[in-house]
Amino acid sequence: MTNTLTDRAATKHPEPNTPTEREGLPARIVRLILTQRIVLLGLLLVILLVVMFSLDAAGQLSGSFDTDYLASSLINVVPLAMLAVAEMVVIVSGRGGIDLSVGAIVSLAGMVFGLSYGEWGWPIWLAIIVAVAFGGLCGAVNGFLIAYLGFPALIATLATFYAYKSLALVINNQAPVNTKPIQDLYSSAQAVQLPIIGEYIPNFPLGLFTFLIPTLLVAWLLITKTTYGRRLFAIGTNDVAAKWAGMNVASTRARAYVISGLLSGLVSVVTVAQFASARPDSGVSGNGMALPAITIAVLGGVAITGGIGRISGLVLASLLIVWLNAGLLLLIAGNASGRYQLLALGAVLVFAAVLNGITSRRYSGAK
Amino acid sequence: MTTLLERPDAPPTPPAPSRTRKRILPRAVSGQEWILLGVIAALWIALGAFTPAFLSANSIQPLFAYVTPICLIGIGMTIVITTGGIDVSVAGMLLVCAVVTAKLLVDVGVSLGVAVAVSVLLGAFLGLLNGLLIAYGRVHPIIITFGTANIFLFIGLTVFDSKVINGLPSTLEWFGRGEAGRTLGLPHAFVLTIILVAIAWWCMRHTVIGRHFYAIGGDPTAARLAGVKVERLTVIAYVTTGAMVGLAAVITLASGTSTLEPSVGAGQELAVIAAVVIGGTSILGGRGSVFGTLLGAILVQTVSSGVTQLGWPSQLSELFVGVFIIIAVGTDILRQRARKGKRL
Repeated sequence: MTNTLTDRAATKHPEPNTPTEREGLPARIVRLILTQRIVLLGLLLVILLVVMFSLDAAGQLSGSFDTDYLASSLINVVPLAMLAVAEMVVIVSGRGGIDLSVGAIVSLAGMVFGLSYGEWGWPIWLAIIVAVAFGGLCGAVNGFLIAYLGFPALIATLATFYAYKSLALVINNQAPVNTKPIQDLYSSAQAVQLPIIGEYIPNFPLGLFTFLIPTLLVAWLLITKTTYGRRLFAIGTNDVAAKWAGMNVASTRARAYVISGLLSGLVSVVTVAQFASARPDSGVSGNGMALPAITIAVLGGVAITGGIGRISGLVLASLLIVWLNAGLLLLIAGNASGRYQLLALGAVLVFAAVLNGITSRRYSGAK
Repeated sequence: MTTLLERPDAPPTPPAPSRTRKRILPRAVSGQEWILLGVIAALWIALGAFTPAFLSANSIQPLFAYVTPICLIGIGMTIVITTGGIDVSVAGMLLVCAVVTAKLLVDVGVSLGVAVAVSVLLGAFLGLLNGLLIAYGRVHPIIITFGTANIFLFIGLTVFDSKVINGLPSTLEWFGRGEAGRTLGLPHAFVLTIILVAIAWWCMRHTVIGRHFYAIGGDPTAARLAGVKVERLTVIAYVTTGAMVGLAAVITLASGTSTLEPSVGAGQELAVIAAVVIGGTSILGGRGSVFGTLLGAILVQTVSSGVTQLGWPSQLSELFVGVFIIIAVGTDILRQRARKGKRL
């Protein structure tokens, strides 16, 4: 888990190629695309949309790839982007920060939500608060192990991944909770027409406005406008320096894992509504939710070594992946499209990572 | 579990007074491994006392058979983690190797030797891709292997083509779980695993390449300045992992029924990492032992087979795995701190 290979660039090229006055406009654009992840993602997004729209116009797709389709596929962005924010916060906190347990927390907190709302008949606001708080508690266990006891994050969250996953299955004897109140939640996952402007633009999924946009807004404010956000980036960049600057490194880092847990708890509510059922394996079935979330975070420009990351990168990366998947669903018939989505995710990630590795050496010193 | 907590600092760290030469190599069996041996022995005795069926050949033989794929992949993973890397693509590689070998067995009817060779070479090739991207692309291993994991899954599922492979011939039964796969009651696959663990253990301790793996994990920059070929050895580490995955794929094919499902290997990467970590290998690199990984894999399998035999819900075993990881790494952290405290 040590960093390693990137430092070498600095020793081989002692003089960073700083941009000079003579650099022409094309060179500047290339440089911008190669060094600014957001510009690259935006470009890829535009290319994707152009290709898909022209394929649609040529009649190559099994359905129509229009704005309605794009808007309705945004339902998949909600859990993905929220968990990517969770991963971003812990990865930014540095020292090998990562959270493999988010999917397991989604399962476990989802069962807690399902039991309290669906079985015990608690009011919905209380059930949501309990689920989110429970997620936060799960995250606090991670944070305590990592920040105060010094466990490597990968190990601590691997251990809690197993523990939470197992508890989620055992808590209700592997049975899902899908009583009437839970099934009725499905209406909240539906698409809605916006007031006033709704007639002119497509209908968006409700979860976008009730969960994702508030989460992104709060996360953006937390990261850019609060002391805590600055501390988080400081400890991720250099925790020794942060310590000598008088920060409580352990508490700051532990809170990053609590935030990740809280977000996972929130995602569990979204997932329960989307499936109309609290499934004990909702967050860990198949490839799980943690790996795609980490992939989105890394693709969005979060440096795995900590201290670097932006919300806008995450948003673009999750839009890119979700619309790419939606496009592949129309382009490739049958269940083959599922595996092409894996290929697309893997290829985009490797491409972005290798490009990053090359460009950070070419324009060394650039982020 | 209590034994773990009672002896946090079992091994005496100062060298024996009779020896004049200073100890360079770590001890043959480290403290963590003694603790693991103790825990496994305690668990076996306890399980044997509660469920008499546990300490019978019918129970121990499948246990060893289940351990082998995890342990084989664990050999490679131990080397990779020792160099400071990680490989989360092993489940994808296992899928590719298993499905290609299965297709060859069913459609072409290749012999045992060819099947093993193809699977191991294919695994090594996939590992080579990982290694080249990591060593020369200079990207963090976890990111590259997340990416290649998805690509390998795509390749594997494409070869599957949404179908289950039926009618696997008995070509591989020499490695299997049946009577043909055993000599004197010992599964051949398990014996082969033990031999490979022993070879890897010896190489890691006594060869130049082996020591260089530790050097890279300890400090790659220092290793480079000391003349270690960091890139080449990094590639070798991932290729070894790939080859081991290829062998594990053959054993998985042999041990199952005559069908192969696309879910083969799912979740295996985390199980392997768990075994490696419980075995005392440091995820930060520079410290690790293949022997510990073997013990870690046996411990994990003992727990899950014990949970089943006690009649508890089988999902509980993963809770114990999580707890074991925390205890194993926790005691290791405590011992490290105690050692540092003594030196300072």
